[in-house]
Amino acid sequence: MLESFRGGKVARWFKGRSMWLLHFCTGCGAIELPPSMTSRYDLERFGIIPMASPRQADVLLITGYLSVKTLKRVITTYEQMLDPKYVIGFGSCTINGGMYWDSYATINKLDYYLPVDVYISGCMPAPDAIFAAFLELREKIEKGEANGYKLYKIHYERYKANQDKVFKNRGIIEGED
Amino acid sequence: MVEGVVELIKGNFSDVEIVIPEHQEKRVHISVEKEKVKEIAKFLKDNGFRHLSFITCVDWIDEGKFELVYGLYSYEEKIVVLIKTKIDRDNPKQETLLPLWDQAQTYEREIHEMFGVYFDGNPGLTPFILEDWEGIPPMRKDFDSRKYSQITYDSEAK
Amino acid sequence: MLFLYNIIIVPIIAILIGLLFLGIARKVTARIHRRYGPPVIQPYFDTLKLLTKEDNITHGVMYMLGPAIGIAGSLLTLFFIPIGKYALFSMHGDLILVLYLGVIGSLGMALGAGDSGNPNAAIGVSRGLSLMLSYEFPLVLAIVGVILKYNTTSISAIIQKQVTSGWWAIFVIPLSALVFDIALQGILGEKPFDIPIAPHEINSGPMVEYGGKYLGMLQIFASLHLFTELALFVDLFLGGGANIITFSLKMLVVFLLAIFINAIMPRFRMDQAFKFYWKWPAILGLISLIFVFI
Repeated sequence: MLESFRGGKVARWFKGRSMWLLHFCTGCGAIELPPSMTSRYDLERFGIIPMASPRQADVLLITGYLSVKTLKRVITTYEQMLDPKYVIGFGSCTINGGMYWDSYATINKLDYYLPVDVYISGCMPAPDAIFAAFLELREKIEKGEANGYKLYKIHYERYKANQDKVFKNRGIIEGED
Repeated sequence: MVEGVVELIKGNFSDVEIVIPEHQEKRVHISVEKEKVKEIAKFLKDNGFRHLSFITCVDWIDEGKFELVYGLYSYEEKIVVLIKTKIDRDNPKQETLLPLWDQAQTYEREIHEMFGVYFDGNPGLTPFILEDWEGIPPMRKDFDSRKYSQITYDSEAK
Repeated sequence: MLFLYNIIIVPIIAILIGLLFLGIARKVTARIHRRYGPPVIQPYFDTLKLLTKEDNITHGVMYMLGPAIGIAGSLLTLFFIPIGKYALFSMHGDLILVLYLGVIGSLGMALGAGDSGNPNAAIGVSRGLSLMLSYEFPLVLAIVGVILKYNTTSISAIIQKQVTSGWWAIFVIPLSALVFDIALQGILGEKPFDIPIAPHEINSGPMVEYGGKYLGMLQIFASLHLFTELALFVDLFLGGGANIITFSLKMLVVFLLAIFINAIMPRFRMDQAFKFYWKWPAILGLISLIFVFI
């Protein structure tokens, strides 16, 4: 009964109204978050507040390009979060590489390595776009469509193969350095 | 002012090529052999150029040479001196400036990683920014970044 | 039967009011920051969401028991504090008992956080215990002032004496009330004394490894803790309350003062907080004691 309540409609409604955020400030996108959180736009009115630790967070916001080195840390962070967890890819860099599409150091498509629930396009997306993304994520959560964390478990072999393709060793991820 | 620096260098070193670039005052370019870099850098350091601004590297792939550029700055005269030297591209080795300036470590590590230049006498040439990099250093001109990106990041693993 | 009923109903009311107060705190802080702010009932959403999250980590038995001990300690304190006209346990000397019991909740949280093995949690716990050491001294001075003034150690008797004399203790011994209020700022962990859970320095300190239902339990613990400490202040200095509504309004006034200070202050360092507490509130508390003796 508890299990059915956890995934049920009521629980999903609460989850959509309290999305705690872990912003992984990788690229230039981090600069768009302070305006979103302060008095002009105020993310907190949707119940979205930044959290300090991945254990407490529900949404992983990846704000920009990811070098291979950073991707390792992002995956570590993602795997530390508790289910249900959601990923928002922020800016063109997470969709197709953006302006770093031919760089030797940055990945191009985040979706190969982590399941992304919502993308925000643009370079840079304005705070309005961040709000649109969060409201869409809330709708998806309420409908029960934001299932990225389940897909990650089901297709873990594929994601891991993709990760291994760019990592020469997985030291940090597997806890040995 | 700039002339004074030129006189100073000419008076102590015979076989250096000195250029004062047009439209750029307060700047002196010196081209020297790679063996003389340390000597001339030490001389300049003793004569007021106490600050090592940067070390950088240029890949002249057609000549088969790397050009190392050392930027020195004098707080008193407010002049930048660039010491340029060309080293062999196939066997890139250069003496370290670590005994003169501690901050040379960062630049030398980066150049070692990005161009593959080996600095003699520098004990800390460990991996710096790149992680698990294999293959030729990425800042060399014969490295095709676009092709590498397409192969590595634009396709899924089989 | 009525006894059991009260044991269940009072904590639920306390948790609901405590969570509501946390929501009011967030809304008021947002308005002071010129933001719109979350809904007042946002902490209910947060807590329910946290309780429905799945947990896929553990750090040992103490890690799981910590929040439970925290809630248990706060509940136990709650039963000894008169709320409105109602008091579950009331006896001679319960004020001193409450002083001791009040520490159990924080200690439970410290034990749990210490078991999580995160260095930030360890730093947070050590800061929290040092802060406790700092504010306990002025707190005890203030409470001793009240005890000497009314010549009893029973909270109910203190309320009774305030009501019959017609003067609340805050007007009779204002310095002790002020000292207690300054200590309350540290007990509630509001700025400038939010040193144990400084999110920008040590990743929210003791809670850094907590997530899911354990964090939800910590939210409940926080609301209970808030309710208990505010209730103690209202009982000792504001003459209790005729019913739960006037009692809550009095608590809200005390809490709003704490929030206003919280919204505009930066954070002390640990040594600064310690020096502050053992200097000004302690001096004021001693002066107040002298006045009480005269």
